[in-house]
Amino acid sequence: MQRRKFLMGFCGVGAAHFAAGCRGYQYGHVIKKDAPNLVGSHDAGAEVFDPLVDEAVAKLLGRHSALMPECPIGPDGMPVKKAICFVGIENKSAEEIGDFKDQLYQQIEARILESDCFQPISRRMVDAALHETRLRPDSLMIPSNLQLFTGVLQRQGTPFDYMLYAKLSSGTTERNHSKQRDYTLSLELTNIHTGIYDVQSAEVSKGYHKSAMGKLWHYSPLKS
Amino acid sequence: MKNARRCSASTLKSDRISPIGANVASLGTLAVILIVGVSGCSTHSKRLMEPRTLYHQGQMEECRLRLEKLSKSHRGDRDVAMLDLAMVDLVAGRPKQAEQRLREVRDRFEHLEQDSLAEKTLSIWTDDQQLSYAGEDYEKILVYAFLALSNLMHDGGDAESYSLQLNDKQVMLAERAIIQNGPQAAEQYAEVPIGHYVRGMLRESSHRDYDDALKSYQRVCELCPNSQAFLWDFERARAGVHSSPQTGVLYVFALVGRGPSKVEVAEEPTSEALLIADRIVSAVGPYSVPPTLAPIKIPDIQLPPIEIDLVGVSINGQAIGPTESVTNVEQLALNTYAANRPAIVARAVARRVIKKASVLAAKTTMTKDNNLTSLAMDAAGVVWEATEAADTRCWGLLPRDIQVLRVELPIGRHQVALSPILATRQIGPMASASVEIIDGRNSYLLCCFPDGQSIGQLVTGPKSE
Repeated sequence: MQRRKFLMGFCGVGAAHFAAGCRGYQYGHVIKKDAPNLVGSHDAGAEVFDPLVDEAVAKLLGRHSALMPECPIGPDGMPVKKAICFVGIENKSAEEIGDFKDQLYQQIEARILESDCFQPISRRMVDAALHETRLRPDSLMIPSNLQLFTGVLQRQGTPFDYMLYAKLSSGTTERNHSKQRDYTLSLELTNIHTGIYDVQSAEVSKGYHKSAMGKLWHYSPLKS
Repeated sequence: MKNARRCSASTLKSDRISPIGANVASLGTLAVILIVGVSGCSTHSKRLMEPRTLYHQGQMEECRLRLEKLSKSHRGDRDVAMLDLAMVDLVAGRPKQAEQRLREVRDRFEHLEQDSLAEKTLSIWTDDQQLSYAGEDYEKILVYAFLALSNLMHDGGDAESYSLQLNDKQVMLAERAIIQNGPQAAEQYAEVPIGHYVRGMLRESSHRDYDDALKSYQRVCELCPNSQAFLWDFERARAGVHSSPQTGVLYVFALVGRGPSKVEVAEEPTSEALLIADRIVSAVGPYSVPPTLAPIKIPDIQLPPIEIDLVGVSINGQAIGPTESVTNVEQLALNTYAANRPAIVARAVARRVIKKASVLAAKTTMTKDNNLTSLAMDAAGVVWEATEAADTRCWGLLPRDIQVLRVELPIGRHQVALSPILATRQIGPMASASVEIIDGRNSYLLCCFPDGQSIGQLVTGPKSE
């Protein structure tokens, strides 16, 4: 009897192990466009960058569309849009944004393309000009550098009117095991003919907590 | 008391099974366990010895054939044989094939990070060689490093992704080690700089993302505070440019020295403690347990002697300088293995205890006090324990160090000569290759010096195959 119990117990434990411990496979699924983004637990992701880009670009283009008169019509009957040279995104935040940088660039470029008044020049042209001149993007505002850079782009057949820089920055507030990080995306648009510039920015704040109750504890609506 | 307990046990069973039948059944059970438990005494370290020697002698084709044979004959060794084959491919000038192999193993290791209790249960009755090999933590990190290097040598399109994956993997492994082993594991899981370095190097070559390059080089400098070359990289990313007009950049990556491998060692203090413990149990308990005569075997990291320190680089006959360490593979292996060693020892002890308990359980089914049967069971138990072998599967063809040198050169072809250096002295013949430098672009050269002699080819990239 005891032996039977021992064997049954042993087999039971073995079966439980086999049943509970099988290695699974990894699965994937396509996320619907209207589905909410995942919220990154350690750093910023789509949930931060998407609204930042939307808001900052909309503010900048909206303001300039309002200020600018109607786009002149070219000889071909098409509106002549102002050309923007989008130089790049500078990451000054505390986080490594990894593979997001190129995506941010594309998102901003796509929003500008949708505008009625502005037209970005090809990124490949900008890269080629930077490569040829060996100028750093952050040194383009030096008059001689700007002249050299615009000269190369004009020679390539892509003159431009504005230069656009994007800068991602962050500010961190810590309290015990919780942390609030404010992300700011600033877009700086400079008219290279007049030197007049405009800056528009968008901000998203995010809380990081070591416990699930951290959000309730620090951001409870009942807390004064 | 001891006799009374034995009597009551036999009284309970005597009405069902005859005494002889019960003893035969007990021995039979043990025999079955023994058959299951007999795992090959041959370990991976013994099987790897020959291909490893061939590799270090530069006989790449022979080495490849042996490794392929090994991957087919021992299913459990397949992934580590694939890793070694990737090294052979890379050094022999087939970076695309190397990358394919490494990607396959990376995906397997990712999959095997999930525990299989079925395998764990089996390994408790046999040894750790029965587990699918999920890779040591240092191997998981280095898979990404070699993926990045292999990719740079053919088209370079995915190298940055691999470098990001490498950095993520390191953080993930460190976090897991801290949870499992406590905060002291943070030091043992210190990051290796190669992921940051490759990323910095690639971002800088865009001529646009100097801010990313700066962050990456900053991390490299934090991890290698004594390196002057990395400080120059940092300064260049902060205020300089990738290269002057009409020049390009050459990166020489050197796989230097013979890397770590695993060997079987006897865990003597634990074996002795267990021997004392089972003597105590035998003395006070109703039955004896098999004595711990066979030592507990665990794998340990073996480091070959240092035969080369670094590689001197000369271009067109002019000395440029030595390569600089960007990943100390030896240190990485030692540190991460040390963090996991207590768990390996604990698993080996648990296995012994379970084996002893099984023999004890088999003895309790005996219907009468038969010293001869008990002795036979103890002997069988000792044999069962002695069949255990340590899991010495490992990536056996790793270098001791991955080193790098950056040099800016005028566009055109250049003759690059590499010399092995030990304690500031050249210890072997130079190896040379011709490299094409393209305006404003990076070119790469990969060499392997396990000792004073270069093996394989000097691989240049990027190239499309």
